Amino acid sequence: MSRRHTSFNTALTYAAGLLFLAIFVGPILWFIALAIRPAETAFTMPPQLAFEPNLDAFRHILVDPGTNAPQLVNSLIVAIGAVLLNLPFSVPAAYALSRFKLRGKKNIMLWYLGLLMAPPVAFLIPYFILITRIGLQGSYFSMILVLQTLTIPFSVWLMKSFIDEVPVELEEAARVDGARWYTIMLRITLPIVRPGIIVTSMFAFVFAWNNAAFPLVLSSRSTATLPIGTLGYFATSGVTWNYIAAAAVLAMIPPMIIFLVFDRYVVRGLTFGSVKG
Amino acid sequence: MHTTTVRFPRAFGPARKSFIRRNLPYLLIAPSVVMLLALIAYPLLFALRSSFYFWNLQIGPEPLQFVGFENYVQALNAFDFRAALTNTLILSILGTTLEFTFGLAIALILLKALPGMNIVRALLILPTTIAPIVVGFLFRYLYDPGGGLLSWLLQSLWLPVPAEGILGSPSTALAAILFVDIWQWTPFFAIVLYASLLAVPDEILEAARLDRASAWTILMRIKLPLIKRTAIIIVMLRFMQIFNTFDTVLVLTRGGPGTSTRTLGYSLYEQGLVNFNIGLVSAMTWITVLIVNVIVALYVFFAFRNEEW
Repeated sequence: MSRRHTSFNTALTYAAGLLFLAIFVGPILWFIALAIRPAETAFTMPPQLAFEPNLDAFRHILVDPGTNAPQLVNSLIVAIGAVLLNLPFSVPAAYALSRFKLRGKKNIMLWYLGLLMAPPVAFLIPYFILITRIGLQGSYFSMILVLQTLTIPFSVWLMKSFIDEVPVELEEAARVDGARWYTIMLRITLPIVRPGIIVTSMFAFVFAWNNAAFPLVLSSRSTATLPIGTLGYFATSGVTWNYIAAAAVLAMIPPMIIFLVFDRYVVRGLTFGSVKG
Repeated sequence: MHTTTVRFPRAFGPARKSFIRRNLPYLLIAPSVVMLLALIAYPLLFALRSSFYFWNLQIGPEPLQFVGFENYVQALNAFDFRAALTNTLILSILGTTLEFTFGLAIALILLKALPGMNIVRALLILPTTIAPIVVGFLFRYLYDPGGGLLSWLLQSLWLPVPAEGILGSPSTALAAILFVDIWQWTPFFAIVLYASLLAVPDEILEAARLDRASAWTILMRIKLPLIKRTAIIIVMLRFMQIFNTFDTVLVLTRGGPGTSTRTLGYSLYEQGLVNFNIGLVSAMTWITVLIVNVIVALYVFFAFRNEEW
């Protein structure tokens, strides 16, 4: 292969890379600009790239106490709560599925998987009625609770793939020394898979954070999360685009940071561990 | 020796193990299973019961009349519902196929390990991190007929843009929604396929090249078969996610114009949370759950037949 041909290929690859960034990242940047640009320039075409940025929209979203519930705080409470409730259920299950020979293991794993395929919107009305009957409507806990239908199956799969990688020999050594199974699990295995627990938690956080379906029916005005906030600005009037964008940008940032920071685990998380990334 | 039996009583077979020790794995799994059953059993049974009643919350708080399978008949005969089913299938099948194809193409380009391409790869995942509802707003802004960037770009390229806007015309609205899904999820396929292709052993590829196999043959005969398991899982996940989509549709078109972008997910939302037609939406839920289960069961049966766990 001639040298000229290779450099042509290199140039072509870089051109493709830039094209991908323009297509997949460009729109996000353009949307972020919407949040900080003067409202009257939002729809001027040809696009105005030079404008005086201001943070008024963010100020309105975050601190205007008259109309806005603290949606950022609500989103944090719900997402962190969902992670905390999730771990005690999913970590032991993942440990068992990874470490023991079980009859029907494949069926159990597929059952968890099947739950991820349920249509959440179909469950909204029953949840709404159930939560209202037990008097939890509008509470953080109601959202945290029903989010477990998504986060538990996902976390079990992902955690299992991390525990699978801890050498069994370590546990056997402890067993020979007379340690009981719970000592082994709590003192040996779980400390070793701490990075796995962190990654699993971060992904569960993102799932809960990005979910709009459950808060749509289960939140109240004072517990509404950020996605519901964006919907709110949309419903009241179609023209508050910079408020929508500001709330949306706040909602975008934490998952982006998490995915970029945990880059090397992203593939595994997105396929909940079925691919060793 | 006598003392040995005293010192190691637990060494004598499973009969002596305690109940806890014997059932340990199941006891560890049980809490999650009980929790999940509690969370899904109620909605499913609730929907099953209410699907046999005429029940509309706008008329009364309680079920009004037992109607048998009337709700099912009504759902299946409704033009809306059949349009939704068609649209949903079009979106899921085209979306999954195109996202896989484009994702694979991008993955193969990313594999040309050039300096700087790592940054491209890392940033490429960003669309996938964004909440669907936010993606909906992002594209509503881009599609806006009165100065959205995409509408403007298309017009600048002398491409026809409907006067009612891309989302306002029945001829383009569904394609516009499909495009949004492709934008958000092609990077997901690209990154996952890229990562699994990285794991294909070099020796195999070298051997194939020595045999003068073409790039196409190597892809079809070596690379794709080796990443089959990954491909099976992500295709299934994506298919079901699109199948259940409702939030992007809610923000972008509310199913319109007409029924052109109505999806099953959006129909469930509308009948349940806008019209509060509990009986009808429950019947629709069960129809959807059955369709989803048949598709998943067939897929899992054929795709995982020879898999080890």
